[in-house]
Amino acid sequence: MDIRSTIAATGYAINRPATAPDPSPGGAIAKAASDFAQSLHQTETTAKTALMGGADPHALVTALAQTELAIETAVTMRNKVVEAYQEILRMPV
Amino acid sequence: MNDFARASVISASGMQAQADRLRHVSENIANADTPGYHRKTVSFQSVVERGRASGEVTSGPVRLDQSALAQIYDPGHPMADETGHYAGSNVDLVIEIADAREAQRSYDANLKLFDQSRQMSRALLELLRR
Repeated sequence: MDIRSTIAATGYAINRPATAPDPSPGGAIAKAASDFAQSLHQTETTAKTALMGGADPHALVTALAQTELAIETAVTMRNKVVEAYQEILRMPV
Repeated sequence: MNDFARASVISASGMQAQADRLRHVSENIANADTPGYHRKTVSFQSVVERGRASGEVTSGPVRLDQSALAQIYDPGHPMADETGHYAGSNVDLVIEIADAREAQRSYDANLKLFDQSRQMSRALLELLRR
């Protein structure tokens, strides 16, 4: 009995780091978010120039299509993250 | 930039080049009756970025068609010489219309490819939603 609990405690101690938050994905997500914001900003600038007659409509359409895809990616990623979080919350402890 | 974004940028450069070509065709047609007008032709060239061809296309420098100008007989014209002829333009409307139609077809092809790359990247994202 005592040995078992010792083994369990050791196993817990070994597996503990696996559940600790990993700092590296946070950096990747922050970078993705800043890329996303930059893409939005670029499209905004292109749209402004195009509406004032400066840029050609092709550049505007390209920028808008890319931003649309970026927004869809961001929303899908957010949905996935929220889904995973709710899955964890629903987990019986 | 990923491949899909690059493909759409390249297609957009093709559309831009064809739009430029159409602009020169309309200039030629508008000046078909201008005396002494040489028709403009547009050449295409690939874009080079940092020593490498980026795959994009751009319209190159405008060149003037140096074929002989049409001699039009009109003794009452202020520019007519002693034989009653003056130099018109060398614009042939049939050639210009064929050029415009070619520009349209090429534009359509680029547009289709733009749509195609967008659809493909969207289909890839659809996988994430399931």
